[in-house]
Amino acid sequence: MSTKVQVTRPTKIELARLKRRMKLATRIQKIVKDRLSILIMEFLQTVKECASTKEELFADFKEAYKALSVATGYHGYALLEKELLASEMAFKINTVTRNVAGVRLPVFETEETDAPSFSVRNTPDTSSLIDNSTSLSRKCLKAIIELAELQNSLELLGTEINKVKRINNALEHIVIPGLDATIKYLTMKFEERDREEIARLKYVKMLIEQREAYAY
Amino acid sequence: MHINNPVPDKIFEDCLKADIKTLNAHLPRRRKLLSELLEEKHPHVECGDGNTDFFKKKELEYLAGMLNDSEKQTLMLPIIIEVGSAEGNMTVRSKTGTEAKVFSKILDMPIPCTADIITIFRPQLNVLRKVLKTTTQYIFTT
Repeated sequence: MSTKVQVTRPTKIELARLKRRMKLATRIQKIVKDRLSILIMEFLQTVKECASTKEELFADFKEAYKALSVATGYHGYALLEKELLASEMAFKINTVTRNVAGVRLPVFETEETDAPSFSVRNTPDTSSLIDNSTSLSRKCLKAIIELAELQNSLELLGTEINKVKRINNALEHIVIPGLDATIKYLTMKFEERDREEIARLKYVKMLIEQREAYAY
Repeated sequence: MHINNPVPDKIFEDCLKADIKTLNAHLPRRRKLLSELLEEKHPHVECGDGNTDFFKKKELEYLAGMLNDSEKQTLMLPIIIEVGSAEGNMTVRSKTGTEAKVFSKILDMPIPCTADIITIFRPQLNVLRKVLKTTTQYIFTT
């Protein structure tokens, strides 16, 4: 990829301005790189957490389905369906946000309520098997919410990483080399101009000396 | 090497400016004490960009569990982690040293607080951020 020299006026003021911009671009690149490394670190951590939460969720589901099938076997479909229809579940989720290096990520927090889920059950007809299956299902629900938070965070972090990577690449491969090339181009031009000036002065000096020699 | 029109460069610069502006906009206008946050129903702080950052109650309770009453009155939240020192490490400014105590308890190792500055290394930051997700914030400096 060829570097592009971006210059409108080859002046010393322009050179000073470019040098200032170069300094600023380098500083910004450092910040962008730091941000990228932090975002990648957070992303990897979220991936790890996501994987472990998923494993936990699968284990919880396994237990919950086992408990549910035992309860179904003991009470039968009809009674279990009746009990499940009658049972109410007070459940509240607070959805808020947190900020990670400029990215707003969701935070789902489950709120514990005082009302038990099996409050309206007909107790003589039911057993602890249904209660056990209910508590296991509730555990699953919490894990699902946690997983939703993590997966959403993962997506948002991934998108932001892509964006920051593009900015970093643009700075690293286009802006900074372009500025560097322009500074070099202007410096060389000014050096050339200085050399020409010296040569011209030397020539003028020689002409004056020659003229003075003929005069005598 | 060829001479180019500087207009696309200007567009990129504008994009970058907006990005840099929003980078530290999430910092709180005013930090709150742990004791203050524990009393709130929905513990939160106002950010510089007008948004609200919430804290997880579990984290606050975890922090409260490792500190005594006087330390709860000195710990300011969120804990600000400065990213961008020359050595590539992160720093936390702590006037009271409570942050150092919290970190040393989480990391299970002594964390020195020299001249009001706590230095955190990258592997330590991983562990800290895993535990204190909402109670820590990053600030980018050069």
